[in-house]
Amino acid sequence: MPGDKLSRRLFLQGSSTLAGSSLARVSMPGMLALAEAACMARDAGATFETLTADEAAVFDAIAARILPTTDTPGAHEADVIYFIDKALGSFMAAELESIRKGLAEFQAGISGAFSDLSEQDQDAYLATRDRSRFFGRVRFMTLAGFFGMSSYGGNRNDVGWKLIGFDGHKGAWTPPFGYYDAEYMREQKDGE
Amino acid sequence: MANEGSVKFATREAVDFVIVGSGSAGGILAKELSTAGFDVVVFEQGPYRKAEDFTHDEISVLYLNELLGGGPEVHQQTFRHHESEVAKVSEFENPAWYAQTVGGSSAHFSANFWRLRESDFKERSLLGPISGTNFADWPISYEELEPYYTKVDWEIGVSGAPGPYDAPRSKPFPVPPMPIKSAGVLMERGARKLGLRAQPGPLAILSRPHNGRAACSNCGFCMDFGCEVGAKSSTLVTMIPLAEASGHCEIRSECAVYRLETDKNGKVSEVLYYDADGNEQSQKAKAVIVSGNGAETARLLLSSASDSHPVGLANSSGFVGRNLMFNSHSIAMGVFEHPLNEYKGIQVSRLLHEFYESDPSRGFYGGGGIEARSLLGATPIRYADFALPPGIPTWGAMFKDFLASSFNHQITMTNSATSLAQDSNNITLDPTHKDAWGRPSIRVTYRDHPDDLATVKFLQDRAMELLDAAGATQSWRYGIHGQSGGAHLLGTCRMGNDPASSVVDRYHRSHDIKNLFVCDGSSLVTSGRGQPTMTIMALAFRAAEHIAAAAKANNI
Repeated sequence: MPGDKLSRRLFLQGSSTLAGSSLARVSMPGMLALAEAACMARDAGATFETLTADEAAVFDAIAARILPTTDTPGAHEADVIYFIDKALGSFMAAELESIRKGLAEFQAGISGAFSDLSEQDQDAYLATRDRSRFFGRVRFMTLAGFFGMSSYGGNRNDVGWKLIGFDGHKGAWTPPFGYYDAEYMREQKDGE
Repeated sequence: MANEGSVKFATREAVDFVIVGSGSAGGILAKELSTAGFDVVVFEQGPYRKAEDFTHDEISVLYLNELLGGGPEVHQQTFRHHESEVAKVSEFENPAWYAQTVGGSSAHFSANFWRLRESDFKERSLLGPISGTNFADWPISYEELEPYYTKVDWEIGVSGAPGPYDAPRSKPFPVPPMPIKSAGVLMERGARKLGLRAQPGPLAILSRPHNGRAACSNCGFCMDFGCEVGAKSSTLVTMIPLAEASGHCEIRSECAVYRLETDKNGKVSEVLYYDADGNEQSQKAKAVIVSGNGAETARLLLSSASDSHPVGLANSSGFVGRNLMFNSHSIAMGVFEHPLNEYKGIQVSRLLHEFYESDPSRGFYGGGGIEARSLLGATPIRYADFALPPGIPTWGAMFKDFLASSFNHQITMTNSATSLAQDSNNITLDPTHKDAWGRPSIRVTYRDHPDDLATVKFLQDRAMELLDAAGATQSWRYGIHGQSGGAHLLGTCRMGNDPASSVVDRYHRSHDIKNLFVCDGSSLVTSGRGQPTMTIMALAFRAAEHIAAAAKANNI
């Protein structure tokens, strides 16, 4: 049998779509309700479902150094922390324990919470930890939360996509797509 | 009149054909044989997704392996570079990449559709032997396969225009090339400066409506994603509907085949599988065609060992699973002054085949193509994850600034090339690990041949020159390391005239078992230069013709 692991995977994948799977069809409404609830909770500034408030503060602070707030929004404004909370409670739940362990080791290197350090001190400490597996996973969650679809809890108001100029969610396009093919089309036309 | 999609065959009565796999080869064989009047059951281990089930969800598709049936956590495959190592389960990605969905990998591929050339079929004769490899000629020629390439062009739907180095074609492309993208313009510009000739990339994507299907909407989600408008010419939208409409074809999705049984006459008689609920089932068949892919097909034949077939079915040569070829790869990245917006449209609008042929003066065997490709720039998470030049930190304000300024300004020159067939690159059954259904895990052992690495290094040098000539403001390359996975799963049940050194004959019938056929990427004798699906589909049309003729003549 595909077994529990497969069922769980299919169930979690139902959060986006897996309408072709009978299993996912059954679980879809439930997952949609969950996703909706997560977004509503986020909008209401609610507490977290998976992480404690202290854990969330540290993840939020790390994410905010990976993609900092500059003259454009960063991970904090994109609600990356809500993505992380939701991911670790669902499709990354298998990693929750190892990530919590990583967090404890990460925190053990400093006195007090990472989130209470100045940005300068945060950067200095991160520079000593940015090759660790823990950092790699937080970095991945930050990128996924910043650039993934907002239905996963992050990328609020599509700020991640606006930052880099990605309009991929809009679907259909007609040429020219960019500067050089537009120039090429003009030249072709002039040459006729 | 047949009721579309409704035919169900009894498991205890032998159908004319069972086809294992609904992908590039399986989908075509299903359509050809069912419309010829044979009763066919097609097994697909993945679900029956339709165009409307496909999304633009990068997290689900690229990171949760939605179309791959889940990642290593679910379908544990194992990998090692050499047989002296204990193969391990990779953490995030399985070494053999293929879609588990009706239509197989033709549903999620980028749809680059190169034909092989005349030389590909007889390179061993042209260039001589290469020691330590199983480099060999094919048992068929380009001329023999050409009519079937043309059949693919027209029945599957391929857009393109003839290139300066293409092998001769008997009929024009059915639809013109896809619109040129900025990356293609820049490749043409760079090539012209260097005295080279770029050409439109042939693609199994419709630039205009064809065979009742709509044209591409340029949404940009080709590579690794399913096509929501059905413009990508997968077997899901081209062949499977015709097979089902014949009233002679049942697609049994979410059913995973784990063993083929033979009868006392030495013929394949039964196909054992797990149904959608995980229960063991069996389908009787008069003949079986295995079209899984170069990894799944080898696993199934090896898993079907019995007292009368101690090393697996169709394996008297010992060649089942051997000679795995991924095609070798390298990339070079460039950033340009003005926006390209490569996330829009197809992956490849222009490519360069100047270095396709092996040239002994280079000092090594091999050749390949260079594509101006969106690759990492097609989707934002993967871009942010991987597309960093040397000197840009992986986090912080400089990282963020780089992403913001480069995402729409970059192209990736993607080089794909030959892989040499070697005994030491292979698919075997993992002795320890199992997949989600309890089948022995696919164990991949692979190390690129030094000539393959030299070839992609050579192409990467040319790609850097192209970027420079095209006016890149910044360009960089990635180190060339041996591959630890691949989406092209080739060579593991090669075709040949000699039963001692091949698994199937020139018509895809196994040398050992008269009613067992194998047709998919595993049939390829050499790897070609990097885009194998066109050839897999042409082989399937050709195989179907011969298998149908044999069945009609009672010769199975």
